[in-house]
Amino acid sequence: MQTTLAALAVITVGYILAYLVFDRLRDRFGYVGGAEYVIIGFLLGPRMTGLLGAAEVQDLTPIVSLALGWLGMLLGTYFRLPALARIDTSHLRIAFTEALATFGFALAALLALFHYVSGYAWPEAIIQAVTLAAVATLSSAAAVDALTGRHRPVSPLVPVLQFTARIDALIAVAAFGLLLAIFHQGQVSLTVRPPTATEWAVINVAVGVSSGVLFHLFLGPGSRSDEGQGSRLFVALAGAIVVASGASYYLNLSPIYTNLVLGFILANSGAHRDVTRLLLNTERPVYLALLVFAGAAWSPSSPELLFVAPLFVLIRLAARLAGGWVAGALSAPPLLRTPWLGRALLAQGGIAVALAVNYTQVRPDLNGDLILTATLVSVLLFDIVASREVTQVVAASSAVGDPATPTDVARPEPLSS
Amino acid sequence: MIRRLVVLMLLVGGAVLLEPLRAPTEGVIAPRSLFLFGILLLTADTFGALAHDLRVPRLLGYLVAGLALGPSIAGIVPVGVLEDLSMMKRLAVGLIAVLAGAELRIADLRQRGRVIAFILALQTIFVLVAVVATTLFAARWIPFLAGLSASTAFFIALLFAVMLTVNSPMVTLALLTETGAKGPLSRTTLGVVLVADVVVILLFTGAFSLAQASLGGTTAGAGVIMGQLLWEVSKAVLAGVVVGGIMSLHLHFVKRELVVFAVVVVFATAGAAEALHFELLLSLVIAGFLVENVAPVRAEPLVETLHQAAVPVFVVFFAITGAELRIEEFASFWPAVVALVLVRLIAVFGSGRLGGLWAGAEPVVTRYGWTGLVPQAGVALGLATTVADRLPAVGLSIQTLTIGIIAINQALGPILFRRGLERAGEVTAV
Repeated sequence: MQTTLAALAVITVGYILAYLVFDRLRDRFGYVGGAEYVIIGFLLGPRMTGLLGAAEVQDLTPIVSLALGWLGMLLGTYFRLPALARIDTSHLRIAFTEALATFGFALAALLALFHYVSGYAWPEAIIQAVTLAAVATLSSAAAVDALTGRHRPVSPLVPVLQFTARIDALIAVAAFGLLLAIFHQGQVSLTVRPPTATEWAVINVAVGVSSGVLFHLFLGPGSRSDEGQGSRLFVALAGAIVVASGASYYLNLSPIYTNLVLGFILANSGAHRDVTRLLLNTERPVYLALLVFAGAAWSPSSPELLFVAPLFVLIRLAARLAGGWVAGALSAPPLLRTPWLGRALLAQGGIAVALAVNYTQVRPDLNGDLILTATLVSVLLFDIVASREVTQVVAASSAVGDPATPTDVARPEPLSS
Repeated sequence: MIRRLVVLMLLVGGAVLLEPLRAPTEGVIAPRSLFLFGILLLTADTFGALAHDLRVPRLLGYLVAGLALGPSIAGIVPVGVLEDLSMMKRLAVGLIAVLAGAELRIADLRQRGRVIAFILALQTIFVLVAVVATTLFAARWIPFLAGLSASTAFFIALLFAVMLTVNSPMVTLALLTETGAKGPLSRTTLGVVLVADVVVILLFTGAFSLAQASLGGTTAGAGVIMGQLLWEVSKAVLAGVVVGGIMSLHLHFVKRELVVFAVVVVFATAGAAEALHFELLLSLVIAGFLVENVAPVRAEPLVETLHQAAVPVFVVFFAITGAELRIEEFASFWPAVVALVLVRLIAVFGSGRLGGLWAGAEPVVTRYGWTGLVPQAGVALGLATTVADRLPAVGLSIQTLTIGIIAINQALGPILFRRGLERAGEVTAV
């Protein structure tokens, strides 16, 4: 009895203290992360107080799969075709150059690390390197959005950063989805021929497309607002995401990728406004729930914390800066030219954690803890510095309004609006 | 509606096509369970909308969806999947318990305390007397009383009757949320079913110990039984105070991310309840009650957030509850089931009418108060499972009969209560 009460007390005090510390960061530097939720998950989990045992953490899989799929679907809804068609070609060029260059730099460094330094065979090295390269490529528009929420955004760089963050996420999720398809894990039934890597990739897309078409039909073409508030749409959407995620898990594929395709199709259907609004409104709770789970499932070892995670942070920083330089200094038009584009894209956000959690579920046999540790450390550190870096880069590129001036600019509409 | 049903069938068909692409594997949560949980949610949402169109409570649609997909009928959601989803159900129960506690206001209790006490006392007495008398009178048709001595039969009948005094806070809250009902009938019913939850745990613990002793399982005296009973309740109360304190600290210092916080609190409390063996539902009701009524913080944001999250939570709870119903098991006992449902209904009707009349309640409470006491759901099922697990000699047939009665009350109760709320003029949402 005393042990359990002590555990509850430790968790409560730890959580409140962590909140207060990060709240100061929020006030002073515009911190956009949720590190206190990783801490509370870690305190609750089997590694610390054990209030949530390993079995209970596994029992949370439906919530976690919902969270992974939710974030994937939200990403998919950003890519609404009519809005994409209106985007400046220079923005597209910068975004794709930055994303691919960052991915390429990170992948090269991580392949060298896993194959030549750690001594893994090429297939294992590729799986881990691509996963972490995808995590490194991910960037979040949260810091930029926070900046636009606090100041008057007059810099032409702001929409470029917001779009580039989404393309970063797209490239990362697609790379990870393809990785799980190409290096597919698991046995098929004896009655069928094992699909080839290409066939798994096609199956992965097909699951997403068929789910998207079916849920487009399920939700119907019109708005659901007449059926009374968003809660019923929430149930339908949660069901759709869990079904699509369940199918992906069943096949050992990525539910984030599947739901990205599903979100893309729904974003281009009749119900897109309601779906996008609901996903945006619930993004933060879903992200924080994922952080709690990641914290509970987190079991870091000393070598990971002392060696691999810091090394990954350095690799990501270097790749981000290099990728940003290639895109911002070499491929950007004069008005948008900046060598520090990568500095403004340091925030990683929820999808990075989602990818790492997904990896631990599909490939627990291949350094799942290491990937999760490196990702969590990276996300938590970069989220702390991201806002300050964005502010400096945007200010340097042209001008940020007077920080004291209250804004009348709401969070920018996603591309799907 | 037809479009949705076709989509659901296509989804299930698609799942069959995917089946050969993975060899069966064991996991704590099987991927199949996840997929079927999604299907269950979508079917419940569809059936809920259908129920709404038919002017019956949505929760009945959720229950029917669960029943249709569950092991009793289609078998699409098998027993193993339901076991995998037990944590989700516990989360749903926990969140609603916090909301239920926060809905119980001291001012209401003071104002309606007399009415609540009269109706509750009469309900408990009437149901206990009527059910014990009926089961003893018709002992030859009641499977679990066969071959027992008179005193043992009495204690077993008493235990069985206690389970039929249980109401359903989940159904009450779900209907109040769905209909937006506000007024004396809503407040009184909520008060009765929530306080009844505490009373029934006390009664059940006592009746269970007596039944166990009479079957030769234990020879504990009345003092020991009372001590155990007080210890069980004390642990739940203490846990409720601690959890209420934690929630108050959060509302005081943090004030945000309330959904995530509530989910984490429920999981942590569930973990503690398992370790310390206290009643999760009771402790969370107390926690919610303390945050709303005692703590020096504004509880409205938490209550508001829980209200917003309530619909998905109800869908999960009732769909899983529906899937867990095993109607085939009590089919052979249907005459006893129907007779006992009628006896309980008459007892509940009498207690509601007389309780309201004697306590000087508003006419709508006297006239329709009984309708809110008919529904039974999760708590009663939980007690039946406890009896089946811990009294194997008679427990399984008690559980079977109880589940049959609960199934009917679960279907009939929401319709009656909704009608009562409509007649009382308290429904605000269509």
